[in-house]
Amino acid sequence: MSDSNSTGHSSLSPPPPGSRRSPSPGGTSVSTQIALRNMRRLEARRNMEENHYLTQKARNCNLNPPVDLRALDYVSKYDDNLVCPICRCPLVDPVLLMDCDHCFCRECIRQTWTTYSPLGPKGDCPTCRMPAKLGPRASTSKILVNILDDLVVKCPKSENGCKSEIKRGEVQDHITIYCGYAMVECKDSGCGQSVRRKDYDLGCLHYNVSCESCQQNMPKAELETHWQLQCPDRQVKCDLCSSLIYYRDREEHRKEACPAVNVPCPGAPLGCTNKSRRAHLDIHVKGCVLAKLGPVLDAQKQRMDEQESAHKLINRKLEILETGFTAMQDILSANRSGPPDNGSTETLIVPSRSRAESTATDSTRIASADDYDFPVPPSNRGSAIEPESPPTTNTTRSSTTPRTTATPRSLTSPPLRPAPQAPFPRPTDLPPPTTTDFDLASPFSTTAPGADGPYSSPLHHLLSMHESLRDEMARVSAALTELDGRHSMQILNENLRTRDEIAYLGGQVAGMGRQVHWLTSAQLQRQTPGGSAAAREVGTGASAGGGGAGGSVEGAVNAMSTAATALRGAARVVNVGGGQGSPTSPGMRRGVSEEGRTKL
Amino acid sequence: MSAPLPKRIIKETERLQNEPVPGISAEPHEENARYFDVWVDGPDGSCYEGGKFNLELFLPDDYPMCPPRIRFLTRIYHPNIDRLGRICLDVLKNNWSPALQIRTILLSIQALLGAPNPEDPLNEAVAKQWKENQPEAIKTAREWTQLYAQKK
Ligand SMILES: [Zn+2]
Ligand SMILES: [Zn+2]
Ligand SMILES: [Zn+2]
Ligand SMILES: [Zn+2]
Ligand SMILES: [Zn+2]
Ligand SMILES: [Zn+2]
Ligand SMILES: [Zn+2]
Repeated sequence: MSDSNSTGHSSLSPPPPGSRRSPSPGGTSVSTQIALRNMRRLEARRNMEENHYLTQKARNCNLNPPVDLRALDYVSKYDDNLVCPICRCPLVDPVLLMDCDHCFCRECIRQTWTTYSPLGPKGDCPTCRMPAKLGPRASTSKILVNILDDLVVKCPKSENGCKSEIKRGEVQDHITIYCGYAMVECKDSGCGQSVRRKDYDLGCLHYNVSCESCQQNMPKAELETHWQLQCPDRQVKCDLCSSLIYYRDREEHRKEACPAVNVPCPGAPLGCTNKSRRAHLDIHVKGCVLAKLGPVLDAQKQRMDEQESAHKLINRKLEILETGFTAMQDILSANRSGPPDNGSTETLIVPSRSRAESTATDSTRIASADDYDFPVPPSNRGSAIEPESPPTTNTTRSSTTPRTTATPRSLTSPPLRPAPQAPFPRPTDLPPPTTTDFDLASPFSTTAPGADGPYSSPLHHLLSMHESLRDEMARVSAALTELDGRHSMQILNENLRTRDEIAYLGGQVAGMGRQVHWLTSAQLQRQTPGGSAAAREVGTGASAGGGGAGGSVEGAVNAMSTAATALRGAARVVNVGGGQGSPTSPGMRRGVSEEGRTKL
Repeated sequence: MSAPLPKRIIKETERLQNEPVPGISAEPHEENARYFDVWVDGPDGSCYEGGKFNLELFLPDDYPMCPPRIRFLTRIYHPNIDRLGRICLDVLKNNWSPALQIRTILLSIQALLGAPNPEDPLNEAVAKQWKENQPEAIKTAREWTQLYAQKK
């Protein structure tokens, strides 16, 4: 509608006097006079139309002022990158600054620049403090504009009752054309007042009525709002249960309390199709099996869910262990063919280390595992060199056990260390030895008392080890999760701060850069007229005026380089990313302030 | 304050409360959401360590176009903070940028506590002492922290 009107308006813009003057001098014929009259009539009508349109538009604007996009409530979540650094709202009419490419709302940057330098569309970028000016309109990406326009917001009239949620780009249209709660001019053209769009067809509502409940006087047009939101007394009879309720609580009553409303049985999810009035619901519920089953089943379901998630976890652990198991079996079978060279490995005895230490050096141990003929779990390292370690039937065992410095080759699983008191199968429970070769490969020194016989099959050893591995693994993984959580929290906190500080530092450095630039240019200017004398002054830096300036330039340059170093340091901290987040911060903070205070 | 609070102030306040900066707290007053009650911890390793300093912060009408007004309420011995608690910090004056926020400003103030700058003094007497006898000045600052600042 506004489109057709505005084109009509522009077509009349040629000034009326011109059209009147041109035919008049020589125009004597009837036809020209008629044409002239027609022209005048047309012109008058156009004028009227135009006036009407303009007043209409002005009134409409008064009734519904342009929507302030910054005051909207956003329904959709938006990315932080879409937020204007100045108003902290999703960008409105975004503009890019030339050179630094930082993005702001057009209005925000205009306001900033008029506050600081009333010289027009240039000034410093608020984010990086580079001298900047507005980029051309076309430089703002259409994609960005579309993304912003597609954000869903609540209708600005939502407080008055409109429930619409609209794309931001369509809000203005919604208000000017569709919203039932936006104001329009009264149907009665003599009235001159406004009504909500949805009440337009009810005719003029601008006569005074008094609220029948609280006796307050108001125009009829406002009565409904009054009842809905303000009236302290207005009560109505519920047309279903015929009890008296407050008008403003009507909807709530229907939804939650009205005893006459039909509500489904609580057992509905289980298949009960019964619907009865709220008042009679308990009677039904007393007899309904499904309703009674409801809570029980809910509890069951919850337990099932818990079990399922636990099951999943166990499955995953099992998978990991199985992989490890297979890998170990591979190693064992590979070793069965060629017994290890005992003489050379004797020197590789590693004293037992503390748990933390061995975890830290895990990777090296795994790497060194390749040097061994077969790796064995590390927990037996200690016991292997214990003198009271029971004698073994196989003489090679004592020489093989000390080489227990590597974890099984299954690198996919986290470091595992079986507890020494793991329940190893007793030799008496086991079938007789199948091969003596196996003993060469046995990863166990016998920690269980009395287990001095050779183990019968690698499978039994592995199964028992498996058991202990699993326990250990659960413990380790729990510890890992906890550690991980704590760590990431720490990194997050530390990075937040660092980011802010770096942004600030960036600003400072840029500011100093400008200052140096200014100083040097001032210097240059002085140099040009002064000729060689001034140049000498600057060169020596000794005389009062020139020397002072030279000194300050030098100072500024020094400050610049300090700032740059600090900034680089800060960047490094962020890159390291809180690997050791907290310890770095105090020093850095000091760096910030040093630059922060440098007055320019 | 009849005009509605700008979204930016609402959002900054929310963020200050939901993701507070460690060692800094800022609570808006109930009757005036532009007035904040701020507490800043003295940075570790500085002579203000262990003290909690109270500041007041006010967001003028044209914030963020002009900087917030901040003042120490707790007495503090610092070359860049005068007897009335006013702070000599460039970002609070000429170097303000609307892209800065309350949290960044408070961080700069905390940093200023960690690194006093007697070369650019606001409190001449303190700055003089700081330049001539730094250990003595630091000792005084520690004493004042014990005396006036709240214990952490
Ligand atoms: Zn903006
Ligand atoms: Zn920029
Ligand atoms: Zn609406
Ligand atoms: Zn009317
Ligand atoms: Zn009433
Ligand atoms: Zn009812
Ligand atoms: Zn039922």
